[in-house]
Amino acid sequence: MGFKEKYYEYQRPILGMVSVVGLVILWELVFTYLIPLNPFFFTKPSLIAVAFREQIFGGSLWSDLVISSKAFIWGFSLAIIVGIPIGAVMGWRRRVEYTLDPFLTALYASPLVALAPLLIVVLGVGLVPKVFLVFLLAVFPFIFNTAAGVRATDRLLINVVRSFGGREKDLYLKVIFPSTLPYIVAGARIAIGRGIVGILVGEFYAASEGIGFAISRFGDTYMLPEMFSAILVLMIVAVALTEGLRKLEVVLAPWRVGQEAR
Amino acid sequence: MVPCIQAKDITLTFKPKNRDPVAALKSLTLDVSQGEFVSIVGPSGCGKSTFLNILLGLLKPDTGEMRLNGKQITGPGQERAMVFQEFGLLPWRTVLANIELGLELKGIQPSVRRERAMELIKMAGLIGFENHYPHELSGGMKQRVGLARALATDPEVLLMDEPFAALDAQTRDLMQAELLQIWDRAKKTVIFVTHSIEEAAYLSDRVVVISARPGRTKDIIKIHLPRPRDYEMRLSPEFNEIKAGIWSTLKEELITKRAGDGV
Repeated sequence: MGFKEKYYEYQRPILGMVSVVGLVILWELVFTYLIPLNPFFFTKPSLIAVAFREQIFGGSLWSDLVISSKAFIWGFSLAIIVGIPIGAVMGWRRRVEYTLDPFLTALYASPLVALAPLLIVVLGVGLVPKVFLVFLLAVFPFIFNTAAGVRATDRLLINVVRSFGGREKDLYLKVIFPSTLPYIVAGARIAIGRGIVGILVGEFYAASEGIGFAISRFGDTYMLPEMFSAILVLMIVAVALTEGLRKLEVVLAPWRVGQEAR
Repeated sequence: MVPCIQAKDITLTFKPKNRDPVAALKSLTLDVSQGEFVSIVGPSGCGKSTFLNILLGLLKPDTGEMRLNGKQITGPGQERAMVFQEFGLLPWRTVLANIELGLELKGIQPSVRRERAMELIKMAGLIGFENHYPHELSGGMKQRVGLARALATDPEVLLMDEPFAALDAQTRDLMQAELLQIWDRAKKTVIFVTHSIEEAAYLSDRVVVISARPGRTKDIIKIHLPRPRDYEMRLSPEFNEIKAGIWSTLKEELITKRAGDGV
């Protein structure tokens, strides 16, 4: 294979790398040679890299990450446990959908982070309000996507399973659940982003530890490289989770891979 | 001898909410004997599929009786299996797992049903495709899986709802020939719904013409072609006569339907 063919095969990752690396270099060059850097208001990649190293090998980054992850995992798990059944019932029973839909749509559309101050007053400082905030933000994608998935279940397939003597339980396990699964995974991808916002906002308002707290403290004290390195960590985590989910989708729903490619 | 299937005075009216009721079937009567191949033709919307769904046990008639071996049909059962027009394969299951569906719902243990499914894979010419997903198959292959799945539970009666309508003409001819072979070997009773007069004439012992909505038995035409049938028979003058006979009966109904539709 020639060089050119190789390039076309890997065009996507190559161009992606070039754009990211290029931007970082440009950023570095601009603040090194063009504009004198005011460290109070801005920073550059080389400083962030140093801070990132320090954070990893000596700072509180790991313990912050653990604290935030704990709240995220609790809130996200709750969102799954509560969201999927509600969504399933909404998708299956039209009356339930008609009844709940106005509230859920309004809540989904509104900036729920506005409730953060209230949650902190009611639930105090610490893990509980953060878990609740993550839950509140992450639960809606699960509800709506599960409902959409159940509704989109092919009636023909239901009839097929019934015609072979399948009972109610078989309909759920052999048709409705597998047909809804890809919708749930897609919902999870949206929920991850919203959940991370929940963590951050919760920790901005009232916390003494966690990634969100670190970002807000570094920002308040003009420690911009440290602040950006914390944001970088968050970015890496978010990308890793989303990518992990994509891989999970391939494992859970291999029949979708070929369909989407068409 | 009691006929395998007895449909007596089957009447069914659909009553959708907020819409006018639709009379799908009216006093439809039909007897089918054991091992017979019967096709049902009729204008679209005449209740052919409804009839199959009643036979399958997914729908209940308002009045009338549907009996299988003398016993009233109350729901789906292992003696009957359907091959669906749109295949109805579960997209998340491989070919093998799709064929095993009926056996699985019957509670057969995995090793036994795997063995049975492999037999059918062989019979349906699907060797090498066991672990493919339906979206990776052509239409003809999909319907082979549909047929294999229906045969897996070894039903007495095979119900086929325009099974080859979604296939291209050549695949269709091929599948018809294969179906006849399978039928010849397995000796199933087949109820075959189709739009194609040619298909009905070629495959069947008898062709039932159903009237425009609400569907009744308009005429039953016996096909006296010898068996086993081969493709060349379709080119004979005799075959054309049969087709013309079915067509003349069906034509009146198509005209009635057209008048009813206001086309």
